[in-house]
Amino acid sequence: MGGAGWLFLFAVLMAAGLLFTMVFFIIMFSDLECDYINPIDLCNKLNQFVLPEHIAHAFLCVLFLLCGQWIAFLINAPLLGFNVNKIRGGNHMYDATEIFRSLPSHKKESFIKLGFYLLSFFYYLYRMIVALIADSE
Amino acid sequence: MASPAQQLPPGWTAEWDATHQRYLFIETTTGHTQWEPPVGNPEAPPQPQASPPPAQHSKRRQYAAGQTQAYYGGDALGAAPAQYPAPGAPQQQSQLFTPGLAAVEGQFSQQQGVVGGGQQSYYGEQQPEYINAPQQPAYPHHSPAQMGALADQFGQMNMGIKGPRLVTTNLLTVPPEPRELQQPPPEIVLPPGASVSPSPFSNADSSYQRCTLNAIPTTNALLNKSKLPLGLVLSPYRSLKEGEEQVPLVTDTVIARCRRCRTYINPYVQFIDGGNRWRCCMCSLSNEVPQLFDWDQVRNQPGDRWARPELNHAVVEFVAPTEYMVRPPQPAVYVFLIDVSHNAVQSGMVATATRTILENLERIPDENGRTRVALIAFDTSLYFFSVPAGGESSMLVVSDIDDIFLPKPTDLLVNLSESRAQLEALLGRLSDIFQDNHTIGSALGPALQAGFQLMNPIGGKIIALSSSLPSVGAGALKNREDPKILGTTKESGLLQAASPFYKTFAIECSRAQVCVDMFLFSSSYQDVATLACLPHYTAGQTYYYPAFNASRTEDALKFAHEFSEVLAQPIMLEAVMRIRASKNLRMSSFHGNFFVRSTDLLAMPAVPQDLSYAVEIQIEDTITAPFVVFQTAILHTTCYGERRIRVVTTALPTSSNLSEIFASADQVAIAGLLANKAVERSITHKLEDSRDALFNKLVEILQAYKASMTAAGAGASAQLAVSDNLKMLPVLILGLLKNVGIRQSAQISPDIRAYAQNLLTSLPCQLLIPYIYPTFYSLHNMPAECGTVGEHGVIMPPPLPLTSERLERHGLFLIEDGQTIFLWVGRDAVPQLIIDVFNLPSYEVLRGGKMTLPVLDNSFNQRVNAIVQKTREMRRGPYYPHLYVVKEDAEPLLRLWALSCLIQDRADVLPSYQQFISQLKDKVNGSGY
Repeated sequence: MGGAGWLFLFAVLMAAGLLFTMVFFIIMFSDLECDYINPIDLCNKLNQFVLPEHIAHAFLCVLFLLCGQWIAFLINAPLLGFNVNKIRGGNHMYDATEIFRSLPSHKKESFIKLGFYLLSFFYYLYRMIVALIADSE
Repeated sequence: MASPAQQLPPGWTAEWDATHQRYLFIETTTGHTQWEPPVGNPEAPPQPQASPPPAQHSKRRQYAAGQTQAYYGGDALGAAPAQYPAPGAPQQQSQLFTPGLAAVEGQFSQQQGVVGGGQQSYYGEQQPEYINAPQQPAYPHHSPAQMGALADQFGQMNMGIKGPRLVTTNLLTVPPEPRELQQPPPEIVLPPGASVSPSPFSNADSSYQRCTLNAIPTTNALLNKSKLPLGLVLSPYRSLKEGEEQVPLVTDTVIARCRRCRTYINPYVQFIDGGNRWRCCMCSLSNEVPQLFDWDQVRNQPGDRWARPELNHAVVEFVAPTEYMVRPPQPAVYVFLIDVSHNAVQSGMVATATRTILENLERIPDENGRTRVALIAFDTSLYFFSVPAGGESSMLVVSDIDDIFLPKPTDLLVNLSESRAQLEALLGRLSDIFQDNHTIGSALGPALQAGFQLMNPIGGKIIALSSSLPSVGAGALKNREDPKILGTTKESGLLQAASPFYKTFAIECSRAQVCVDMFLFSSSYQDVATLACLPHYTAGQTYYYPAFNASRTEDALKFAHEFSEVLAQPIMLEAVMRIRASKNLRMSSFHGNFFVRSTDLLAMPAVPQDLSYAVEIQIEDTITAPFVVFQTAILHTTCYGERRIRVVTTALPTSSNLSEIFASADQVAIAGLLANKAVERSITHKLEDSRDALFNKLVEILQAYKASMTAAGAGASAQLAVSDNLKMLPVLILGLLKNVGIRQSAQISPDIRAYAQNLLTSLPCQLLIPYIYPTFYSLHNMPAECGTVGEHGVIMPPPLPLTSERLERHGLFLIEDGQTIFLWVGRDAVPQLIIDVFNLPSYEVLRGGKMTLPVLDNSFNQRVNAIVQKTREMRRGPYYPHLYVVKEDAEPLLRLWALSCLIQDRADVLPSYQQFISQLKDKVNGSGY
């Protein structure tokens, strides 16, 4: 198995991980809506995962860039930019005092990310298989 | 049968007993008295009141079947003879009723008398003392229920028109009339039979809770078509002035609530199944009436259900049983954090504050001797005071502010009544101890943490007094004021919290039931926007005294007055508020000082009086009910250690008719809601966005009105039409746009702006309206009776429209917005006027600025003083406005400030009212295709 194969295998695993994080976020948000959790606990819990998620995604991007996987990098670049912008603006963390006001937008964001990770999961899988086939030939 | 007098056998009289709220029966010949109605007719033995025969006509209004009868007036008339026996007819049903019930019946038949027409004069003679005296003393007007009955009559004659009538006004020709704002909101016309009680208090007064629309659209599409915002503006814990009706209290801990939606029983439920069950007015679930509901626990006998306060009053308090407690009621705890840095001492803040606390120790609510108090002073270190009961108080200095600890486990938080003498001695000494303190800097954050640790297990109120920007320890802030970015798009950044400390700390406080009040005094930048976060999320309040200097007696007086009012307020502790509404209505967002703990639960560690909250409402699906109910419930502990629930219920009719919706829009509530939304938008977006949003909302409303309510439809029109009840809305919006909190200007310091925004979101309507639309009186030519004491206190002069056209060169004018009073003196004021009012020889000698009016021995001076005094007292809330004397030709800044209150004038880039209206007209016509 060559470099590209390993890279995309890793990417598939990462995408799966990110996918689960997003599912977790969405479940937590709907818990909040149904009053199963209070906003303080929710924010404490979610905020632990915000930076790791962003870092994991950024790491993947950098990996693609270093390995010269331009298409994969370009696909991820917009989200990377979005995340970096949010961190620079200092509003990447969930704020318990504002959470109910911003809940719809948080949910929307999480759903979009979920869709994105899902698509990229299959894309990485496809690229991995292509790379494996190319290797074996 | 309709009044006890008629039911009685000969030789008996009935007298209303105000203390027991029921009739006392007296046998005139023997003087024998009894509570039970005398039995005059032995054939009909008394029956237990709890299970009355369902076929009884006279009770029909209470049950569902009866209600439908009442709804269709024809049947009501048909049934009327059963209600009105001829005077000589045998009184067969007399024993079946308890006297209180009979009194209610009496009122009801009075309404029926209106309907029944022919019977009117008969009952008019017989019943007046029972109609008004026992149930609604001192309420001479027609009850809404009576109005409802009348309106229903009209409704039957003229199908469709039942609400207030829509009157169209042309804004171009009708100037704003300040007196319009004093008018009550459009009348709420409920369908007849909606309320089980004929009491005039069965719908909450607008000072407790008011809705932007007094007729709720049945569909969301209709609401969107009208463009009017739908929301509630409420101040459920408002203060009561002397002579105002107390909130009735239900003491027997029988709390009937709907099993499904947890709604509290209220005058809008229906009793079904012979009165054994009640149908919830929100979710229509049928619930059992609790067994003890009809039982008088005080006297241990069957009680009168219809006399229960929760069925007659829309604002009630229940004493809560233990199920409503997480822990035994906490005592009230006050922790004072006093800044003793150089600035604070020099400005005299410390001396004034300690003196005020000292003088008000006995006004602090402490009915059962449980209240606890602690004092912590801080500069860059913390000074704790140990006040052992009976011992000598001592000071403990903690200079390690990175890791806060309490120097002593006990005696820091002491019982107010036990350690009263020590506290008094300490407060007397405090300002002397720090008299020569030259430390500059403030460890407000660590002091807050220390106060929090001190009261953590109990909760209560922290009152922080600070004179400078927090500079050391946790929560230290930087001076971020930058005159260059004022008036630019970046300005809203200055209105956002600079440090996350105050938000996270607020959340901790909210969890531990700690509320924080901030008193800020700095003469330089203090970052009010950040510091105000803490009161905002812990349900407290921020008070700001820019450049406080106690050597000016006015400053000291204002602060001392407001501080002492805050101290003396009976606060609600450990409160949670929930607002429930009928099916298909949902509370979508909340504005005000609290922490939103779950989708609809607002956590308020301590609720001060007279704070306003705003709630936006969404219509989720078509509403089919003829009326909807909003119910606000606050579960709280009083500062006297009793767990209580305050319930405020408002019922509003629904309507599918757009003209009815426009006709019932409440401009004051709309302005209140929009002020909250504008402030929120200015923080999350930009100040400019919030101004645009306000203006566009107004344009949308006017467009919607024009398109659907006027003949012009979508085309251009020479008029700018709006319904009569909304005609002050444009000028209120203009007032908001020109308010310090939102105004476009590069000169307003961020502190002043942040404080103004804080006021805009927390003032109740009564204070908010003058704050955005000040009051303007002309004093030199006021009618002779103004300023003298009349029937309703001091008579105020007629308010003038807010335009400088009304200023005369020889005149004396008063402009006030509830926070400041300006006394404008024209440059040609006659010397006699100056002598009379100010005791000064001429206009030239008079100096502008803050001052106290001298009290002189002439009637004009006394009248002016009386008007100023009344201006300060007539509204709720602790505010004590400063009085500024403004000379027409001096001090440009002060002059500009006073003139900025005249919002109908053109100022700088801001349009005059005429310009504003023509801008509106262009917009309304311009985009109308």
